Amino acid sequence: MTNKKMISFVLGMMCFALTIGICIQIKTVNNNNSTISQSYEESNLKAEVLKYKEKYDNLLKETEKIDEKLKEKIEKATENNSELEEANNQITQGNKIIGLSEVKGAGVIINISDSEIDANSVLNSNDLLVHDKDILNIVNELKNAGAEAISINEQRLILTTPIICGGNIININGERIGSPFTIKAIGLPETLANLSRPGGYVSTLQERKVQVSLKKSNDITIPKYTGVLNFKYLSNVK
Amino acid sequence: MIILTMIIASVLGAIIGLNAPMISYTYSSYLAIAILAALDTVFGGIASVINKKFDMKIFISGFFGNAILAILLTVLGEKLNVDIYLAAIVVFVWRMFLNLGIVRRYYVEKWSEKIKNRYKDAETKDTKE
Repeated sequence: MTNKKMISFVLGMMCFALTIGICIQIKTVNNNNSTISQSYEESNLKAEVLKYKEKYDNLLKETEKIDEKLKEKIEKATENNSELEEANNQITQGNKIIGLSEVKGAGVIINISDSEIDANSVLNSNDLLVHDKDILNIVNELKNAGAEAISINEQRLILTTPIICGGNIININGERIGSPFTIKAIGLPETLANLSRPGGYVSTLQERKVQVSLKKSNDITIPKYTGVLNFKYLSNVK
Repeated sequence: MIILTMIIASVLGAIIGLNAPMISYTYSSYLAIAILAALDTVFGGIASVINKKFDMKIFISGFFGNAILAILLTVLGEKLNVDIYLAAIVVFVWRMFLNLGIVRRYYVEKWSEKIKNRYKDAETKDTKE
């Protein structure tokens, strides 16, 4: 009898482990449904990309730390000197405007994503996708409505930001960005919300069955530009 | 009783497995092989229980030995660019069918014997009457 109990215990443990394994495997495979590849090379490449991304994130954190240290040093240096303090204030003001510091305020958040309608059921499936031109048009309208700071999927738009088509993604600030897009803009929310007026670009997108939603918010945070500004050919005219 | 424990353990495993974190996609092929090894061991265990030849040591060492060998073969195949894991899959599935055959034969024989006995009983009753 004890033998039978032992057998059932061991077999039960095995079944237990087996079902756990199967469930985890099913979940993992389902999660990677979009780009299933049995080839090890491809999954290795995937792992490598993730590794580099982690490295990049770590470096970004380090630069942020160094920036903070710099800020502290500047504050200490300018503490008892009104002239330097004014210069420092000018620098922070300038950074705010050109996009080198994090800003927050009231504004609107626009979510745009590709249509979920089956592409075979319409005449022109191109209409169902969000293109770089759509993003450009919306950004243009936002600027026209007085937006002071704009970001797309956490990419701050600055003076030199290009918005370029890159196949099935859009290149913004050299970063590859795909649907869904979240456009945040700081400005007077009532004016910015006019984007959804009849005949406006948002309604044009909605006619194309692209999923667009616009909502006002009183607390929007827009990240700073993380790249490096290089101005080589500019010089001041006296 | 054995079957009941197995079912309960499977349900528990499914519940925990559904709440467990996902593993990296790189390792999912190794897990797949390990799952096959476990399946093979479970079928083998059931078959040996039916044959009344169940040995704990052989069962457990078989599980770990098979799983580790299969995973090592997968790694080796990856290095040599040959899909050796296919061989492990073939062997495991073949053994699974073999063991399933033993289980099936046992139950079919048991069942047909029962029917025969009932038939015989009825016949003897008939003759008595």
